[in-house]
Amino acid sequence: MRSKIITWSMLAVLALAVVPLLVTDAFVLRILTEAIMWIGLAIAFDVLAGYTGYLNFGHGAFFGIGAYATAILMVQANWPFALAVLAGAVITALCALAAGFPTLRLRGAYFAIATWALSLAIQQLALILTITGGPDGMRLPPFLNPLYFFYLMLGVVAATFFLFWFLLEHAPFGLKLKAIREDELGAQSLGLNPTRLKIQAFVLSAVPTGILGGIYAYWITFIDPASTLSDLVSDQALVMVVFGGMGTLIGPVIGAVLIFAFKTVFWAYLSDFQLLYLIILGAVIALSVVFLPNGLWGTIRNRNGGRGGRETTLASRPKRELAAETSKQNLPGGLKSCAQKEGGK
Amino acid sequence: MATPLLELQSVTKAFGGLTANNQISFKVQPGEIVGLIGPNGAGKTTLFNVISGYYAPSNGTILFNGKDISGKPPYALAALGIGRTFQVVKPFPGLSVLENVLIASFLRYPKRKDAEKHAWNILETTGLADRAEVSAAGLTLAGRKRLEISKALALNPSFLLLDEVVAGLNPTEVDLTIELILKLRDQGVTILIVEHIMRVIMRICDRLVVLNFGEKIAEGTPAEISNNPSVIEAYLGETAA
Amino acid sequence: MELLPQALIDGILLGGIYITIAIGFSLVYGVMHIIDFAVGEWIMLGAFLGLYLNKWTGLDPFLLLPVVFITFALIGYCLQPVIHRVVSGRQGNPLLMGLVFTFGLALMFRGIALTGFGFYSNSIPSAFSASSYFYEQGTFFMTIPSIRLAGLVYALVITVALHWLLKKTNFGLGVRALAQNREAAALMGVNGKRTSSYVYGIYVGISAMTGVLIGSILSVSAQMGPNYTIVAFFVVVLAGMGYLAGVPWAAFLLGLVQSFFLIYLDPGYTMLAVFAILFTILLVSPRGLFAKGV
Repeated sequence: MRSKIITWSMLAVLALAVVPLLVTDAFVLRILTEAIMWIGLAIAFDVLAGYTGYLNFGHGAFFGIGAYATAILMVQANWPFALAVLAGAVITALCALAAGFPTLRLRGAYFAIATWALSLAIQQLALILTITGGPDGMRLPPFLNPLYFFYLMLGVVAATFFLFWFLLEHAPFGLKLKAIREDELGAQSLGLNPTRLKIQAFVLSAVPTGILGGIYAYWITFIDPASTLSDLVSDQALVMVVFGGMGTLIGPVIGAVLIFAFKTVFWAYLSDFQLLYLIILGAVIALSVVFLPNGLWGTIRNRNGGRGGRETTLASRPKRELAAETSKQNLPGGLKSCAQKEGGK
Repeated sequence: MATPLLELQSVTKAFGGLTANNQISFKVQPGEIVGLIGPNGAGKTTLFNVISGYYAPSNGTILFNGKDISGKPPYALAALGIGRTFQVVKPFPGLSVLENVLIASFLRYPKRKDAEKHAWNILETTGLADRAEVSAAGLTLAGRKRLEISKALALNPSFLLLDEVVAGLNPTEVDLTIELILKLRDQGVTILIVEHIMRVIMRICDRLVVLNFGEKIAEGTPAEISNNPSVIEAYLGETAA
Repeated sequence: MELLPQALIDGILLGGIYITIAIGFSLVYGVMHIIDFAVGEWIMLGAFLGLYLNKWTGLDPFLLLPVVFITFALIGYCLQPVIHRVVSGRQGNPLLMGLVFTFGLALMFRGIALTGFGFYSNSIPSAFSASSYFYEQGTFFMTIPSIRLAGLVYALVITVALHWLLKKTNFGLGVRALAQNREAAALMGVNGKRTSSYVYGIYVGISAMTGVLIGSILSVSAQMGPNYTIVAFFVVVLAGMGYLAGVPWAAFLLGLVQSFFLIYLDPGYTMLAVFAILFTILLVSPRGLFAKGV
């Protein structure tokens, strides 16, 4: 299953990479670029929400911080884009550290509140500062090359996806985060330092979000608090993750694609009913919580006999003789009676 | 005598006005099984939480291998070699049995492959290997208690705190668990155990420490304790009077 | 300096309203461990019901409070089983799901209200709206609009009534038992589901009534919800989650911070100041000012 997901993901990335060779329509390219961005935002959101069990309602703030940092460095300091976006990533990481220290010592509910308050405060800050242009926003030097942005977005999101896959599904880090999600207190007795792990997860979630914000700013060439810092970024990421399936990497991707596709169609044909979108977004969240608590992907996997939408398959059981032999070094076996007892159930 | 593995020096834990543990001192020597007993509400679980770092002591010192560990967080103590189980068993319900043990294995085996091997060994030892792929929430009470021990064991601890690991098990399961505890002792794991079932305590413990209303009222071998008048009074209390 | 008494009295009057926003919210958290993201939306919906009832009947909003309470208490009572189902599910992460669910509700309510009522801002006229008390001595002077005073009286009445309900009645005993220990309460014969439904109903009812009050003191608009959600959050975190006795003090503190910013500093910085306080409190004492939260 593990290798299957990697193979399919690589194929998907390759397929996306050849799309611009076949389709030259600017609108399609634009939609695809944004869809890819949302996939990145959703999987980054899920690091904290699904794997660690912390809802970050300030996710949009990190997107905005990345966007504004890049824009300010490019406009005020004349930095080249590549340098500005990297600096934006560093700034986002620092903000995540600063915000994470007090907020991540808190349990789930407090955390959601604190991050939401943080995002409101940053919105406010962007509105009153002069360097951000206040409510008028900022214009960036235009660079009108849709292909450049398509490949940049695809590259960054694909890199993020594979990095996350390695860290969360392959390396011990992902399981440790899940232990925090399941039982934070109990995890401590197993040698896990929850605060440290949570801050690592927070930074891991914030940095790609900030980078995507920077790319978005340069791509769209205009940012203002309403477009990059509003709650809508966090809200949509939340819907995508919950609807797709929390605590998995594939779930948020599916959620992002479906919700974004719906959004695009909706705005194209029903733009007179913009408010309806808000209602539908809310209804999708509420209904999927009640009827699809594991999200689409989790439900599909459960149907197919998988457990809890998990993507990891573990190394199979070693041969009994071998196991008994090695265990003699640490803990001599000889408890066959126990083994048979529990196993016989 | 060698340095005790664990030494409590007049450890006190108070919650506001309520003193759950008052000036408790005792030592645990390497290789011993020491039982911590006392009526309900005597402060046994609180003391466990203090020793394992979940509560900082309000007063007093805890030495582990001669080093002061009072107030250190649980994860630091786990790294030092202190493992514990919880009275109310807490598996990670959304994860499989193997994953539960794997998480604890990472402390000693940071590489996933090594950790997986270690986790399988532990599960073979504790008899859960056949249930490894099952969700931890799907285990029976006996299975969950065994998983709890497995997780603590995966830390390769030199000192193990067991909180009511046999309560609620049927006689066969109790015997199996006792067998496991004695095996661990033979491998050099020092054990402090809280238990209500006297049959178990009397059979496995080298020494007993008795708490009542947060105070230590007696300490000695099981034989001495069973003849100690103040212990009998604490347990039988009003019925004896 | 001359404005100091005015700033103080404004802060206290504002704090009074905040008490009623946060008290039910805190109770729901204490009993059901649910953070209701929709708290501001209940206030908004209540305000609109008050507005329309006032338009149709011409009755004073204060007279309409019981009608609004009963309507929304019923809605809350009927909704609670769904929330219960969400937070007690065996799959997923139940507590997180409660948060997500109410968040979804909030979005939905806001969308519906914006569709139905538009973006206009209204206010509910009351007999108290016109008059105000004026006090002057030397250079000190202050104005107390009687509607705001009525708001404070309402807040005190609600607080006292809730206190009585929780401390003096059997129902209150059950609620407190439930907040302490669910299983033990069940053994004592407290019907957890039913009691939770009543608590949630009472909370939604109170929030809606407070909405009517806010509508006549300040204003009613479809996008007002999040402002009051953040107020509820702030007060409750400051008080310590689920610690009811801390709520009034935290509410007055928030009222004072806001009125001082309005009078002495730039109101644009209020949100930043509120967040700075929240941040500091969480850093220093995560369980609230009194370190009594859960």
